[in-house]
Amino acid sequence: MSRRSPFAVRGSPDGVRGAVGPPVLLAVIGVVVALLFPAVATGYWIRVVSNIFMYGAMAQSLNIMAGFTGYADFGNTVFFGLGAYGTALLTSKAGLPVVPAVVLGALVGVVLASLMGLPLLRLRGHYFAIATIGVLEAAREIIANVPFFGGGMGITLPISTGAPEAFYGFIYYVLFAVIMAYIGITWWLSRSKFGYALRAIKADEEAAAVMGIHTTRYKIRAWRLSAFCTGIVGGIYAYWLNFIEPPIVFDIMISIKVWLIMLLGGAGTILGPLFGAIILEMLQAVIWGQFLRGHMLILGAVIVLVVIFMPAGFMDLVRKRFSLRAVLADLRANKI
Amino acid sequence: MNLQSLINGLLLGGVYACVGIGFSLVWGVANVINLTHGALIMLGAYVTFWAFRLGGIDPFLAIPLAMASMAVIGYAIQRFLVNYVVKIGVFMTLILTFGLQLVLIDSALFAFTGDYRSVTPSYAGAGFDLGGAVIPYIRIGIFAVGLLLTWLLHLFMTYTKTGNAIRATALNKEAAQLVGVNIGHIYAVTFALGAALAGAAGAMLSTLYAVTPVMGNPMLGKAFVIACLGGLGNMWGSLVGGLVLGLAETAGAGLIGPSFQQAISFGLLVLILAIRPEGIVGKKFFAEVKT
Repeated sequence: MSRRSPFAVRGSPDGVRGAVGPPVLLAVIGVVVALLFPAVATGYWIRVVSNIFMYGAMAQSLNIMAGFTGYADFGNTVFFGLGAYGTALLTSKAGLPVVPAVVLGALVGVVLASLMGLPLLRLRGHYFAIATIGVLEAAREIIANVPFFGGGMGITLPISTGAPEAFYGFIYYVLFAVIMAYIGITWWLSRSKFGYALRAIKADEEAAAVMGIHTTRYKIRAWRLSAFCTGIVGGIYAYWLNFIEPPIVFDIMISIKVWLIMLLGGAGTILGPLFGAIILEMLQAVIWGQFLRGHMLILGAVIVLVVIFMPAGFMDLVRKRFSLRAVLADLRANKI
Repeated sequence: MNLQSLINGLLLGGVYACVGIGFSLVWGVANVINLTHGALIMLGAYVTFWAFRLGGIDPFLAIPLAMASMAVIGYAIQRFLVNYVVKIGVFMTLILTFGLQLVLIDSALFAFTGDYRSVTPSYAGAGFDLGGAVIPYIRIGIFAVGLLLTWLLHLFMTYTKTGNAIRATALNKEAAQLVGVNIGHIYAVTFALGAALAGAAGAMLSTLYAVTPVMGNPMLGKAFVIACLGGLGNMWGSLVGGLVLGLAETAGAGLIGPSFQQAISFGLLVLILAIRPEGIVGKKFFAEVKT
């Protein structure tokens, strides 16, 4: 595995430290700007930034499984969908308040991750990736075809009270709190025994087992944590949109987008997923706004260029201090 | 299951085999999860459609044309784009080919518009009767071409120098390099072969389904299932995988209900992966997982 592989373990997963001036000051400025933003911005931009937080949080959850543990979960959207459906069913049919409904909805995904863990986490690489895609697609079809779940018609959640502006502002702060919490979890992972065990599994699973790490147990724990984090976001999303249906919340495109964000930012880094989400959502907002037709073409071309020129993500570009020479040298070294 | 649905399942499996074999080849040999496969199928279908519309060429005779044009595109994609990231890891190639398929599909939307097109040769819809079951000519033709292409690919891989180089690369990249195989070129040739097979599948699918820029998307999902069922990079495995999927979907539609067809195919996929990750007929050492 080459040194620049986005899946390789780096000495310090926190590549930002030392690379950008005084990072604490920048972080404080970032948080203050984010907190004050809804007071000055229009509804459209509040929505864009809320999306950044949401997809950043999803990418951060995926990061636990893919970036740290090295297991390519392409079906993590299944936990998003289950969280959304759990929340929708518990609020509309059982009449539960939103907060316990979101937590219980996320726990549905945790149960699924526990059940699937033993048979599926034996699989490596591609095979695990494809199995998770299979689970996602099968889950969507089953939910779409069982009348209890609302079938293809979807489910409408109870309408929230209060003015729309206040509601969207509330969602903004909730999603901001969620991504901050997830960044905290990832930071903890980067220096806890648990996180070291996960990175040891990614580097070499046999070696990790020889060193005394109960690999199966740790992998299942990581998947549960990832599933729970994704499920919380799914529940908030359902509450935010008030209406969900299987093709929306079990969409494989969500998985692809979250992967793209994680790789754009840098897999296995602490702030990478947030930066990845900022880059991709801003790009989309600009491209969608400028080009009514052909925006998929431009997005696709941007993806191709990004993958070829910055395969290790934005955080790696920061480490290289945005040197064009380093980028081109890597490009030549990677070519076969 | 009655005779008609058995035959339907087998013939559907022939179509699926054509769809899956090129995808499985590229994945197994070059370690590239080629998400442009569906888009290449779509372009192959458009080549066939325009050959039929403008030149009056029969869709089955247009297969070589579709294969040749997709092979050129496929070689270029691997040589000038994918070869730059293939060493970094399989998931980068996945994101790259995802971006590329957006470009291809959106370009097709620009060039051909989103109109539903169809290829209608004179024998469309005709068939013969076999013990009470109707067998459409087109489906039996597709089944035969699928068998023929699998056999030709097998001959190519077994008896030509390039084919041997491809197999050597699939087994051990470094060792192949040591004995003088140019990996960059071999990967591109493999991708070209996979693309040509996608083109052939597209040419044949154009006689069954409407030709649109997004027609390849559902086929991509099937290709995943078929490749895993058969074992990655295994040619005859893809044929078996296609047949199993075709039969399972037809049987499932008859027994549980047609709306569960997708759930069945993906449930089957997860089951196979959990029990036999090397595929139904795959060997363990072939196309080992490389991350």
